[in-house]
Amino acid sequence: MDYQKIKMNIHKQFKILSLKEKKQIENKLKESFGIKSIYGTLLQKSEEKIFLFQGSLTIPELQRLERLIPIERAGVYFAKLQKGEIRLSIEGTQILKDQITKNIFELDKKQTEIWMMGEELDIQTGMKGFIIIKYKEHFLGCGKASFEKISNFIPKNRRLKNRNIIK
Amino acid sequence: MSKLEVGILKSKKPNSGQSRPNRFFKKGIILNNFMSFQKIPELKPLYLERITSILNNKEDLKKYLEILKIQPVKSIRCNTLKISVEKLKEVLEKKGWVISQPWKDFPEVMIVEGKLQDCGITGGSTKCHRSDLRGSLKETSGCLSPEVMIVENQLEPGELGRSLEHLLGYYYIQELSSMLPVIALQPKEGDIILDLCAAPGSKTTQSASLMQNKGTIIANEVNMGRLMVLASNLERCGVTNTIISRKDGSALCKKFANGEIKFDKILVDAPCSGEGTLRSSRQTYLMWNIKTIQQLSKLQKQLFKSAFEILKINGEMIYSTCTHAPEENEEIVSWALEEFKDQIKIEKINLPIKPRQGLTKWEDKEYFEEVKYSCRIYPQDNNTEGFFLAKFKKIK
Repeated sequence: MDYQKIKMNIHKQFKILSLKEKKQIENKLKESFGIKSIYGTLLQKSEEKIFLFQGSLTIPELQRLERLIPIERAGVYFAKLQKGEIRLSIEGTQILKDQITKNIFELDKKQTEIWMMGEELDIQTGMKGFIIIKYKEHFLGCGKASFEKISNFIPKNRRLKNRNIIK
Repeated sequence: MSKLEVGILKSKKPNSGQSRPNRFFKKGIILNNFMSFQKIPELKPLYLERITSILNNKEDLKKYLEILKIQPVKSIRCNTLKISVEKLKEVLEKKGWVISQPWKDFPEVMIVEGKLQDCGITGGSTKCHRSDLRGSLKETSGCLSPEVMIVENQLEPGELGRSLEHLLGYYYIQELSSMLPVIALQPKEGDIILDLCAAPGSKTTQSASLMQNKGTIIANEVNMGRLMVLASNLERCGVTNTIISRKDGSALCKKFANGEIKFDKILVDAPCSGEGTLRSSRQTYLMWNIKTIQQLSKLQKQLFKSAFEILKINGEMIYSTCTHAPEENEEIVSWALEEFKDQIKIEKINLPIKPRQGLTKWEDKEYFEEVKYSCRIYPQDNNTEGFFLAKFKKIK
């Protein structure tokens, strides 16, 4: 499994985003995917990774807890900021699936197998930038569409090892 | 190599009104069980002596030793944070997996009995989906066609963990007995819960699922390697109400005590000698030794004490292990009842399987009478792995 990446993230401190900073993330998500709002607290690790915590602790309670114990992670890895754009993780797309209204690209079974094996797709989508990848009712994270392909971001530990297993 | 079996189901013509018994063989399962009999290490003599004394009945011991040779059933738990029980069952059955739900009150718990490898109707042109076929077979007592061939198989090793549904976090592979502590703890949506020894995350994800990501769970793990597995599993299951900390369990509890933070519910699924996992982990046969048990017993008391001190009044705590060793189980429970006297009450537990009472005496030791309210789970009783759990309430 791809624990090295997780290990690296765990060692970095996180920052609880203010309401203003959360609003900026929401604006990016609205612009990219039509998402209106996010329920919960956002936390940032390094410059890029955004985590979503939806537990009952408030921001002051989280801050108090952070002073008391070594917090390695809060909530789920939700999105990544990349050069001003935002890319949702698999969980990010699943949590917000009811709000996603645009830049969705639906795969067929064969494409889904290729996608879930971590390979890029040679497809002209007519879209550009980060797009939501979907197969039937399953949300499969984001890809980056360019003129002739969709780049893949499925982490190694979430990839299919064999084809012909999607029914 | 798959463990193939072929069963031929013959009947009279579909509309003849007569049918012959359904010969839907499950030879694959039998063959697989036979194969799992091979190369099992010998039990260490002292372990055999101890378990003989615990079971105290030749017939029971025989059943215990027999079931150790057979791999446990393949059980999964639907992650209701991502998919409904009905939908997951439908999706898995479409893949050809044969699913059963052993516990009526907990439909999210499923056993993957095997898979229908292939099916067809010879001599005819009708085609149907294998799950439809299976449904039809049930409804018609197997008189679907003059000659139907069904091939049923065991899942290949690792197949449960390689499916798309697993990668997307729709289910968690979890042994049946390991689901019991959370069933006994009954986490509710608004609870603040401490899972003191949380990795690999089976019980944390189960709690989060029951809480529907409401409330808060602090999931602690001291070992970095195991913490990474915990983080990975929480992520895959979409758990958003959990904070992961990395600290020695007792030291973490002291920090909480200093900060005057208390919990509604605490789960101490303590590190243990793992005697209950002999069916799935052949390593345990080799690693077992009495010194480890004695060392673990001290650590378990420490963890129990530190955790109980940060439990709210009327709060509830589960102490569990996956071992049969009384030093790690009843001895801890009896010690806790003595240590916290009028502050603590041991509670009766309702479980979906048949447990046995905790021991009140073993060898030369006698425990408090209330220790009988703790639950011993033996593999031969419910076709699970071995387990132990006890539930406590802080009354003062």
